[in-house]
Amino acid sequence: MDWSLLLPLILNGLIVGALYGVVAMSFVLIYKASQVVNFAQGEFLLVGAWVCWWLLSEFHLPFWAGFLMTLAFMTLFGIILQVVVLRPLIGEPVISVIMATIGLGIFFQALMKWIFGVFAKPFPPIFPTDRVLILGLQIQTAYLLSLGISVLIMFGFAWFFTASKHGLAMRATAFDQQVAQSLGISVPRVFAMSWAISALVSAVAGVVVGIVNGVSSALSFYGIKVFPAVILGGLDSVVGAVLGGLIVGVLENLAQYVDAEWLHWGNMYTVAPFYALILILLIKPYGLFGTRAIERV
Amino acid sequence: MALSPPAGEYHANYREDMTIFPSRNSRRALWVGILVLACTPLVCGRYELGLLINIGIMGIAALGLNILVGFTGQISIGHAAFFGFGAFMSAWLHDATHLPVAICIPLAGLGTALVGLVFGTPAARLKGLYLAIATLAAQFILEDFFARAQWFTGGTSGRITEPFALFGWIADREEKFFYVVLAYVILMFVAASNLLRTRDGRALVAVRDHYLSAEVMGINLAYYRTLSFGIASFYAGIAGALYAHYLLFVSVEAFNILFSIQFLGMVIIGGLGSVSGSLMGAAFMVLLPEVVQSAAAALAGGAIDRALRLGASISFLREMAIGAAIILFLIFEPDGLARRWRLIKAYWKLYPYSH
Amino acid sequence: MQLRRAMLGIAAAAIASGSALAQQKVTLGHLMDLSGATSDVGTPFSQGVNDSFAWLNGKGGVAGRQFNMLAVDYGYQAPRAVSQYQAWARDRVVGIMGWGTADTEALVKFVTRDKIPYVSGSYAATLTDAAGKSGRPGAEATGYNFFYGPSYSDALRAMLKWAADDWKAKGKPGRPKYVHMGGNHPYPNSPKEAGEAMAKELGFDVLPPIVFALTPGDYTAQCLTLKSQGANYAYLGNTAGSNISVLRACQTAGLDVQFLGNVWGMDENAMKAAGAAANGVVFPVRTAVVWGQAAPGMANVEAISKVSDPAGRAYRPVHYLAGVCASMLMAEAVETAIGKGGELTGERVRDGFYARQNWVPKGFEGVCNASNFTPEDHRGTLRVALYRAVVGGDTSNGTVQELMANGTMKLQPVATIELERKRELLGW
Repeated sequence: MDWSLLLPLILNGLIVGALYGVVAMSFVLIYKASQVVNFAQGEFLLVGAWVCWWLLSEFHLPFWAGFLMTLAFMTLFGIILQVVVLRPLIGEPVISVIMATIGLGIFFQALMKWIFGVFAKPFPPIFPTDRVLILGLQIQTAYLLSLGISVLIMFGFAWFFTASKHGLAMRATAFDQQVAQSLGISVPRVFAMSWAISALVSAVAGVVVGIVNGVSSALSFYGIKVFPAVILGGLDSVVGAVLGGLIVGVLENLAQYVDAEWLHWGNMYTVAPFYALILILLIKPYGLFGTRAIERV
Repeated sequence: MALSPPAGEYHANYREDMTIFPSRNSRRALWVGILVLACTPLVCGRYELGLLINIGIMGIAALGLNILVGFTGQISIGHAAFFGFGAFMSAWLHDATHLPVAICIPLAGLGTALVGLVFGTPAARLKGLYLAIATLAAQFILEDFFARAQWFTGGTSGRITEPFALFGWIADREEKFFYVVLAYVILMFVAASNLLRTRDGRALVAVRDHYLSAEVMGINLAYYRTLSFGIASFYAGIAGALYAHYLLFVSVEAFNILFSIQFLGMVIIGGLGSVSGSLMGAAFMVLLPEVVQSAAAALAGGAIDRALRLGASISFLREMAIGAAIILFLIFEPDGLARRWRLIKAYWKLYPYSH
Repeated sequence: MQLRRAMLGIAAAAIASGSALAQQKVTLGHLMDLSGATSDVGTPFSQGVNDSFAWLNGKGGVAGRQFNMLAVDYGYQAPRAVSQYQAWARDRVVGIMGWGTADTEALVKFVTRDKIPYVSGSYAATLTDAAGKSGRPGAEATGYNFFYGPSYSDALRAMLKWAADDWKAKGKPGRPKYVHMGGNHPYPNSPKEAGEAMAKELGFDVLPPIVFALTPGDYTAQCLTLKSQGANYAYLGNTAGSNISVLRACQTAGLDVQFLGNVWGMDENAMKAAGAAANGVVFPVRTAVVWGQAAPGMANVEAISKVSDPAGRAYRPVHYLAGVCASMLMAEAVETAIGKGGELTGERVRDGFYARQNWVPKGFEGVCNASNFTPEDHRGTLRVALYRAVVGGDTSNGTVQELMANGTMKLQPVATIELERKRELLGW
């Protein structure tokens, strides 16, 4: 047992897992509010990261200004997407909605490549110190920032859904659209809001990953990695999404450990989450925290 | 039977109700169509024949997916992996056993059907969205398997295959392979149309429309869902094998997630649950990149080209066009090209009355 | 029949602008990767190829005949390349400027059958066994495949030789540890066997290889593995784009490893993108000089560059120059074939590659290194020039041109290793 490799890998897994958790939360938000599975979640990260990079590199804005402008843009982006593409599809079979989000994903991925090219572009240096030493592992300051932001977002979501009017409206809509509507909640507005928040939160994740690894089309793969996380945690549970993300992050790195020590196949890091996904779907399809849909005959 | 059908539904017996061709004209139209297609190699150039061959191959695979998605109401985002499996299996069978290619293709279809059944069995327990995610995972897992299984697929280097040969007639040029594809297209499409007239076909539709009622009526859900996966994989396997022996080279890179999504796009654009729609959707998906390419080539060198950097970004424009086409069709024409074609036919038939 | 239109219509526009010659054009195919996994290095290389042939056409072509370049972006997907090839084979191209390893190796059988010379951007050693007589298992005759520069395997062997000397020179005790890193793909895998065999021979401890994809991403886990295994020398088998991600991740993880790159693994753009993480990477350079340095042939290279950059402001990375040299090889082979008279066929163009010894294309002395091809051995050169990427400061401000000019980024020559032309090392 090579502890000197295992511990840093687990730590790395937790840090990356926190990011997966953030993305998974945005995904679950959309699903909870509007029953739409967003296959384009990864592209939200991508668009957010590229927009922030562009603002910082082209106009030389300070980081916080660019970041806030990016968040504002992504809020608008989410609302426009929901109104233009998803609203006409309300009531259509689930396959159509899935295909629409897939189509959106393809479109925006290609659009970003067209506008910004295929090379990975690094962010201009933002933090005075690049890395921090914790428990024997050098961690990028950006990752610590992301950890902090993730925790903030989690608490923010928790407060939002339990104590704020709009959050309660969203939960009501997710529970029963008809009743919510009859109580005076504007369901289209709730949908738009859920997409806006999801886009915003994903953009945060995208910017963080962009700072660490550079912005490139590889960011959209986060949108695929989110599936094992949300299935594990339960498609409609925010807490489950966070836990699912952490577990997937650690799982990846554990798989890498096993691969490096004994198997030497080289691909376990990328493919292990999908094996886990299939396993969970067979054993416990509703995940750890998802609501069991009861079918009555 | 009348030359053209009377207004309204009027069937005197069960046979009339179940027929594929409601009138003599439509039957004749089909024969004329096949004859015209059979003559195209004499008229068209290699490029057009290549496009038609691609449409045929993709059409067969799209039809399989349509049986799964349109007729049984399930979702599969991993169709390209089964397509690839058929391609690799046919290539490997021919290399390993030296069976003639003409036999390897159906065998590859059967092999892929078996694999599809294996995936279908757990999939039968999942519904809708969960099934979509499971098939997405299956796509990645199979892709990884293809990349690692050197003995079967040639690993990441791929494998060279032999052309289709029958009693000394080698179909290594588009003009000859066109007939092979045409034969298979006719066979598979007739098979699918007939499938939907049988009891099993109706059971599949029942599973889609209201599975609880279907189960109450005694239709075994798990059996039919698994069967539909098997049938879809059979079609994908045949199409993949044809693809392998057309291109004379197979490698795992061709069978990625974008390809799976293109199949879904073909089914949706063509029309869910429509046999002829599968071919229309395949034609759309195959011709769309060509249209984008021609448009970019036409604009090449001009001011728009320079401003938008069209020339260097042609592949991105292609992908954007695919994504945009899927979204636009879903918003404006959710029932696909098949419905639009039915409306056009109805307009012609009933002019000047609207219905 | 409908010919595929040229993707970058530069060559077509250049030809259309002034040719009064009624003579038949020489049709060549050109496979490019402008959008796929290796597009970061594929773009400058293909730019060099396109510009070179456009420049030649501007001068009237070779032996009075102009080139008709059919350039297609195949996105690094081998099936698309194969399908494009089959269209070209019947269009009677007399030569192809190719690109990637996977598709080049897939096309070996086809180009040999159809007798079309193929100059690739892939330097896989399996493409050098021209007669197929090397005795290696599964060796195929690659009589029609050529490339300009040392093969991946030979370059790695040279770097390992240097690494062994470097270890001794630093006075470090014990055996150094070597690890091969790269994607699971023919291109990074190409020199793996040769490298590990050479490393063993030179006294290295060979560690199990580490896989990382050809796309940029987060490779912290791989770097942590690298660190825990205690590797001293690591070969990066991918192109610059993903190598940058590894370099940055490993810099963060605090690794002390000497990275050895392949010819596509490091260049000036990568140095700017990776910043200080790229400092110290040793990699081979295929040309005698880099952009901006003086050489007799540099004037022609600058003229070629002006085809797509009339203002003369672009900085051309090492891959651009390699593309120019590769194109000149094909062009001079075509010239030789035309000069012999008769119908211009692929076979005659192939023979044109054997016509010269110590072959430096005319007008490019001091830029392109000498190549030697024989009917049995297509290893053009066994001389590997190793450079070290030196990055002194922050590279985020300024263009590559400026950073190279003010010395923040430097390409420092390290050593030139001349390998022996050993028969038993042919083809792998």
